[in-house]
Amino acid sequence: MRNPRVLTMVETALCVALAVVLARIVVFEAPQGGAVSLEMLPIMVLALRRGARAGIIGGMLLGVALLIFKPVTVHWAQVVLDYPLAFGVLGITALGSRAWRAAVAGGPTAAAVWTVIVPSCVLGGLARFVPHFVSGVIFFGQYAPKGQPVMLYSLLYNGGYMLPATLLCAAAAALLLPALERAVPAAGRA
Amino acid sequence: MSPARIAIGQYVPVDSPVHRLNALAKMGLVAAFTAALFLVHGFAGLAAAGAVLVAAIALSRVPAAAAARGVSAVAVIVAFTLLANGLRWRPATALVRVGPLALDAAGLRTGSFFALRILLLVIATTLLTLTTSPVEITEALERILRPLRPLGVPAGELAMTLTIALRFVPTTAEETERIVTAQSMRGARLDSGGPLARVRAWVPVLIAVFFNLFRRADDLAVAMESRCYHGGEGRTSMRMSKMRSADWVALLAGASMLIAMGLML
Repeated sequence: MRNPRVLTMVETALCVALAVVLARIVVFEAPQGGAVSLEMLPIMVLALRRGARAGIIGGMLLGVALLIFKPVTVHWAQVVLDYPLAFGVLGITALGSRAWRAAVAGGPTAAAVWTVIVPSCVLGGLARFVPHFVSGVIFFGQYAPKGQPVMLYSLLYNGGYMLPATLLCAAAAALLLPALERAVPAAGRA
Repeated sequence: MSPARIAIGQYVPVDSPVHRLNALAKMGLVAAFTAALFLVHGFAGLAAAGAVLVAAIALSRVPAAAAARGVSAVAVIVAFTLLANGLRWRPATALVRVGPLALDAAGLRTGSFFALRILLLVIATTLLTLTTSPVEITEALERILRPLRPLGVPAGELAMTLTIALRFVPTTAEETERIVTAQSMRGARLDSGGPLARVRAWVPVLIAVFFNLFRRADDLAVAMESRCYHGGEGRTSMRMSKMRSADWVALLAGASMLIAMGLML
């Protein structure tokens, strides 16, 4: 039996590393030209397997890692809103963590996949969308002329890649997690 | 995804005064540069900020093309800023007219000011990551977070987690690439079909990657515990990064100069 704190810390670190790698792999080009990747998937998996603390810390560190590896900062507020905060709140996926662990204990079913994994991941994606949306409103408010529909701009810009990315990650998590629980169960390792 | 190499990281390891500067000082200077960009009133201020940035790039000895690499990522945002400010619907006077739309001189000037500010900001943050290794940035972040420890922020644990993550990014990238190549050779079609078909094709790759990840986490946790790692207070570091007097001078003098420039120009 491992020290659960150390094992969770190491799993968090390796999930962040994988998320940085997945951020560079374009799975699908969105219709308006945005690149959709599976960078959120490792944090969603981590949050569902290890709970909110690991999910939030992993998300925040992913934000910092992305800021280190590929910084795109066009205004000061974005440094916090689009990176540590946006990815940190992705840890909200862990709202379904307890239900998923209970489902795993009784043998994961298709119902658990649809009622726990998919809604939790969609909720996590929605939570990540909020800071991006606020950041977009600040950006467009600052750089677009007065009187322009900045909320609509932000909604279209951020929604354009966040919606497909969230749905693809939720689908991937739904296909992945049951198989992963059979191969490397979270319980009993920590 | 093409089987081409997954490019990660931008640090350019050369010896230069900018590279030798402590990461904390560099982060402070980038923050002061950002503040100056938002304080300047006109193009003279942006020109001065641009000159400071060009001098910093020359001093850092990183290729100018590498410093400008981040610009492509914001091309759409820059174009939007220029057009949103420059385009008008049936204005009285205009530089160029295309049907009812026209380019307005005053709007274009405002748009150019904002677009230049964005470009300078992107190049400055890119320069920070080009001249500072991820490990140095992590050490600086731990130092920034250290005062928050009494509030329950696990600064040491966060820094250790980020250090492990950054250390394993190249290993994970290589491993992912290997599994992607193996799956492609077996006929997996990872870059064709609809979004859902692609995700389905990616699942076998992801299962193998996650399986290896959790196995490696087990091994690493055992290795750390057997070396008596338990996290928390009192952990020492093999390499201590310290702010030397030269770093303090560079930070304080540079930040004061940048803020003064922002206020005056």
